[in-house]
Amino acid sequence: MTDLWRTLDPLVDALLAAARALPFEWAQFDFMCRALVALLMLGPACAMAGVYVVNFRMAFFSDAIAHSAFAGVATGFLLLAAGQQWADPRLTLLVVALIVGIAITLVKRKTDLGTDTVIGVAFSAVIALGIVIITRSPRFTGDFNAFLYGDILLLDRDDLRVSVLLAAVVILFMLWSYNRLLLIAINHDLARSRRTRTRVYDYLFATIVVLLVTAGIRITGILLVTALLVVPAATARLLARSAGQMFWIASAAALVSAVLGLLASYYIETATGAAVVLVGTLLFVASLAVRLIQRR
Amino acid sequence: MPRRLLREADTDLAIRTTDLRITLGGTPILCGVDAQFKRRGINALIGPNGAGKTTLIKALLGLVPFHGLIEVHAGRRRGFPWLGYVPQRLEFDRGTPVTVRDLLCADRQRRPLFLGHARSAIRQAREKLQLVGAERLFGAPLGRLSGGELQRVLVALALLGDPEILLLDEPVAGIDIAGEALFCDLLVRLRDEIGLTILLVSHEMSIVVQHTDHVVCINNGTIQCQGNTLVTLTADNIERVFGYHAAIYEHGHARAPAGEHEGHQHPHMPGPPAHDPGSSS
Repeated sequence: MTDLWRTLDPLVDALLAAARALPFEWAQFDFMCRALVALLMLGPACAMAGVYVVNFRMAFFSDAIAHSAFAGVATGFLLLAAGQQWADPRLTLLVVALIVGIAITLVKRKTDLGTDTVIGVAFSAVIALGIVIITRSPRFTGDFNAFLYGDILLLDRDDLRVSVLLAAVVILFMLWSYNRLLLIAINHDLARSRRTRTRVYDYLFATIVVLLVTAGIRITGILLVTALLVVPAATARLLARSAGQMFWIASAAALVSAVLGLLASYYIETATGAAVVLVGTLLFVASLAVRLIQRR
Repeated sequence: MPRRLLREADTDLAIRTTDLRITLGGTPILCGVDAQFKRRGINALIGPNGAGKTTLIKALLGLVPFHGLIEVHAGRRRGFPWLGYVPQRLEFDRGTPVTVRDLLCADRQRRPLFLGHARSAIRQAREKLQLVGAERLFGAPLGRLSGGELQRVLVALALLGDPEILLLDEPVAGIDIAGEALFCDLLVRLRDEIGLTILLVSHEMSIVVQHTDHVVCINNGTIQCQGNTLVTLTADNIERVFGYHAAIYEHGHARAPAGEHEGHQHPHMPGPPAHDPGSSS
């Protein structure tokens, strides 16, 4: 497993070397290069999946997954405090998020409760669980702020490996399923009548969103991670005139906001994740203006 | 859930269900339906709201679990045949940037749409749009189509893959009268030109009387009557299915083409033959 993990290293090293070779003052800082690589990998990957997060109206789902980090991270710190050295909060975060994501998808499919109702229940349950765990352990020492707001300075080699791997997984998934997801987004029954196995796609896509959200939390934090998925895709939805354009515009918007956001955060010395999201939001407002002018 | 091929050599049936029973969420929807639909004909499935028409269509498509047996004529191909489906009042997100070309090509090509449209997919899409008389909509955004235009595009989508059976769930709901007539002409043309079997759910008795060959009436989850449209739709049968009569006939009659087989258009005229298997429940 660890060997498999290391096979990603040449790629990570190459990307880091490329970042360091950039002729800018900030490129001499290692943390800036790591942040750039993580953002360039995760930003567009989130935006690609975001196309269907927007089309499937799954923004609330993504938010619920992000907030399951309260329970996930608290569990990790609890286990660490109990002497379980393997319990990296990032790992427990992923496990809890996967359970929550699959559970929501399952209940949504098996009952006729509204999607927002199912998610609303899960959303409050995971936050409550997190609070119970934290308040139960008075000597709680974990640093929750890194997960709440994200901290680009804390990105380590494991985070970079995850980013690279996840970008590859998302691109492959999109190549394989973009058309079928489009049919499902138009109408579930219609897609099934076209012999699309909607159950497989429902679960796979939910899993992809869970993976992206848990990885994205490292950059933007719990509160803002949904923006990485939704904002570029929302921008693309305003500007695109076809399904193919939506994919490319979302990816481009994510790239632009990642780079500009990182630089802005460097020069005005502020949180990187929030800066990336703000630049993305500016792009959204600009495209909204373009759209409104065109309508007239 | 057995759905299997109809093996009888020279049957004129496209679909036959035997003791079809469906329960959804604890509520029985269909309770032992033995329905038959004719090959290369326009079949109507009629009945009041909540009778189980849409559920029957979904069972034929394999979209809902059922007990009993559904047999479908194999047609020219091996394996379980492709059933084209046009859903009832398609509700979708009209703001999403998807064109008619995107929708049709998404069904036909493996290559993801963001890497371009495949030439063979475009050819098939254009061909089907032409067949339904909607070629000019090829590049149009899906969200801007009128009800009638969307219906045609959905028929084109259903025809991709060359099914031999087309299932339409209330295809003319929400379309104006002129569009309705055009749409019925299209169905007649598809039956006559490419030998398609058509099964449509409809509330419009005028359409059922004028344009369909075979009718299956369903109420309370069971078949009330079925058979040749003009023979089966007697006043008694209509009343049994819908619980009222008269008004429907005036309506259907008024819209019938002037002087054309007027006697046959009138469901009162020919009494049901004594041996008609389905005319009594």
